[in-house]
Amino acid sequence: MKEVITYSLHDYVRSHKYFPPISTYFVLILVFYTYKPNPIVDSYAITALFLFVISAWLCMSVLSLDSPVQRQLLILHLGSSCQYYLAKLVTVWLITLLLTVFTFLYPIIFNMFSGTVSFTIGFVTFANHVLLATLGIGIASFFSKVMMESAINAYGGLALTIILSITALGIHEALPASIRYVTWLLPPATVTQQPLIQWEGDSLSHLSYLSFIWIVIYAGVIILLFLILAKKRR
Amino acid sequence: MNQLVELKSINKKYEKKNVLYDISLSLKEKQVIAILGGNGSGKSTFLRIAAGIERPDSGQVLYASKSIRIGYVPERFPKYLRFTPDEYLHYIGRINGISKAVLNERISSLLYRFGLKAWRNQRISELSKGNIQKVGVLQAILQQPELFILDEPLSGLDAAAQQELLSIISELKEQGTTILLTYHEASIFEGMADQTYYLKDGCLTEEVMTEKEDVKLIEITSFIGIDVAEWKEILYSEIREDRLLLYVSSKNSNQILMRILELQGSIESVSSTDFNS
Repeated sequence: MKEVITYSLHDYVRSHKYFPPISTYFVLILVFYTYKPNPIVDSYAITALFLFVISAWLCMSVLSLDSPVQRQLLILHLGSSCQYYLAKLVTVWLITLLLTVFTFLYPIIFNMFSGTVSFTIGFVTFANHVLLATLGIGIASFFSKVMMESAINAYGGLALTIILSITALGIHEALPASIRYVTWLLPPATVTQQPLIQWEGDSLSHLSYLSFIWIVIYAGVIILLFLILAKKRR
Repeated sequence: MNQLVELKSINKKYEKKNVLYDISLSLKEKQVIAILGGNGSGKSTFLRIAAGIERPDSGQVLYASKSIRIGYVPERFPKYLRFTPDEYLHYIGRINGISKAVLNERISSLLYRFGLKAWRNQRISELSKGNIQKVGVLQAILQQPELFILDEPLSGLDAAAQQELLSIISELKEQGTTILLTYHEASIFEGMADQTYYLKDGCLTEEVMTEKEDVKLIEITSFIGIDVAEWKEILYSEIREDRLLLYVSSKNSNQILMRILELQGSIESVSSTDFNS
């Protein structure tokens, strides 16, 4: 699997397909930190949402790298379609990890914050970025070329899902109480926003973990479902 | 001979068309099996199912071992790979778990045998069709396969590469590899196959050895208004570039030629040919 990850990273770099999502992300971060000082936790909460969207875009482009025949050949050589798709998702995840490091360090290095980033705040906000990136990858895998032949359905479906997940809190408030629970089905991209903004950053024990655990469960289940369905689509 | 693969009651539908219907076949060690059939007869689908890269709608593909090494040469190897043959084959070898030292030696020897050494560091996307097809063959034999599947492997290969492929297939067979292949036109594989099957209307039938029928190939350049779909004497027809190619039994060729001339078609050539329907 390690070789497929290296192969995919090498191929992705040569394809130049990384340029649109990554340059967009850099521009977003640079514009976001135009003014200073900025509140630490609130800023990191917003940049994690940016990363959620960009991770989905990266996932779409990485999963479209191999032609169907090349995909079949790699699966045959690897001996497992699950390992192939998992390797592709890990490839995207590694790229998002680099983006997370950049997002985390950029405002610290250029003194964009109003205070100092403590270890506790750093740990929680870094983890939030990683979790939302994983969630974005999981969602996009469902709308990738592997699962959908039509590019319009794929990109349209993904855009709609991302919009719904970002506006989930508003939708939840607008819906009648009896059907509010349907918003639990939406990807939990914003569930960590409120606990993070309310958190004072002093201690981990004052932070509600439930929303973070919910992202882990949701992302884990959709990635597992993707692997099962992709295997069946052979 | 031990059984290597068994395909049991394979069925495959694309939309509403039955491409493969209740096909069963056993492949034994060291066997060379050819599957013949016209365009769209389901040969490639059958090979992909045998290789395990496509699922049948129903039926089973049983391998002698779970860790069976399968080499598969697709009909059209991907053209737009962003790697050089050297890089690509190294990746494929590493994915197969071949050590670096063995891989370096094996890749160099195979590139030399197939006349690809001069292009080893040029991107595959920049190679000629024939050289791309050679890379397609090499990735399949990099690890000595127990089952070697080739889908029309000759298309695009020059005569030297065809001969090299033939000698590699013979070597692999000697070493115990089972070979499953398809070819369309008269082929150098004809004498090599231990068993030949025909795939027609989704069904697989074993070749009955009959005396070869003399077939004429008629090339027509101007064929507007000529609809050969209803002409029962035509064994096979296809449009290639701006020409209509008709394969006709020798005994019916004069009749067909007259009919084409009556319809003001322009006959470019008439030649004898080998034809596998």
